[in-house]
Amino acid sequence: MSVASIGGGLAFDERHGARIAALESEVFELQRRSLEQETSLEALSGTLQAGGQADKLSLIVFSGSLDRLIAAFVLATGAAAMGMQVSMFFTFWATAALRKDAAQADKPLLARLFGWMLPKGVKKLPLSQMNLGGGGPLMIRHLMKQKGVASVEEMITLSAELGVELNVCAMSMDLLGMKAEELLDYPGRSFCGVAKFLETAAPGKLTLFL
Amino acid sequence: MELVDARGKSCPLPIVLIAKALRSAAAGDQITVQSDDRAFPEDIRAWCRKTNHELASLETRDGFYEAVVKKP
Repeated sequence: MSVASIGGGLAFDERHGARIAALESEVFELQRRSLEQETSLEALSGTLQAGGQADKLSLIVFSGSLDRLIAAFVLATGAAAMGMQVSMFFTFWATAALRKDAAQADKPLLARLFGWMLPKGVKKLPLSQMNLGGGGPLMIRHLMKQKGVASVEEMITLSAELGVELNVCAMSMDLLGMKAEELLDYPGRSFCGVAKFLETAAPGKLTLFL
Repeated sequence: MELVDARGKSCPLPIVLIAKALRSAAAGDQITVQSDDRAFPEDIRAWCRKTNHELASLETRDGFYEAVVKKP
């Protein structure tokens, strides 16, 4: 073997060695970038999932009838017991269910009229069916006691203990001429509008209208 | 072991009462709950799955169910 050919071989190896090293570092760099992208994608999908799938129950309570309020509070207390975050939004006729028994604020005639006509609190709520001039709710309450079903009053207390959030539609209060002091006391109760409801409910898994 | 007697109490009280009892319990604590609610076997299973508690046992006694739930 001649010296020239050995020199040529070395040059060949050096050239290729450098090329291989460059390729290796390129592959390494690509791997690093792909790993980075994977990590950021994982983080993004986690954020999206958390944003779109919060373990949350939002209830719009519209009806002012006893049977629907029973359903609302069974769901609320049950979900809170399951570890879910629960927000209730009382609107329209349901706001009357939150009135204190005898509270009647000083207010204009039409608002006072509504005050007389609307049920004075949860104890005076009618049934949505078979109300029978007020006999229906009496029978249901009797049966509930007999069968060990918690009353709405008891479930309101339980909801407060379990951290169920209670929001009242300010527009309904205004419309029906109701004042804040007419409502029963509930820890952290707030008055809200549609934006607060939508912001709360939108990322949740479960929203019901009752 | 703490006993939650939810007999004679209807849905959702059995799971509400056990949730309240387990809140103040320490990790590893076990609580016995009794219920004669027809929905209880399904509800207590679902409750344990959802809240990551261990259902150590679920048995039928004389006219009621008895479950032992362990806090993780």
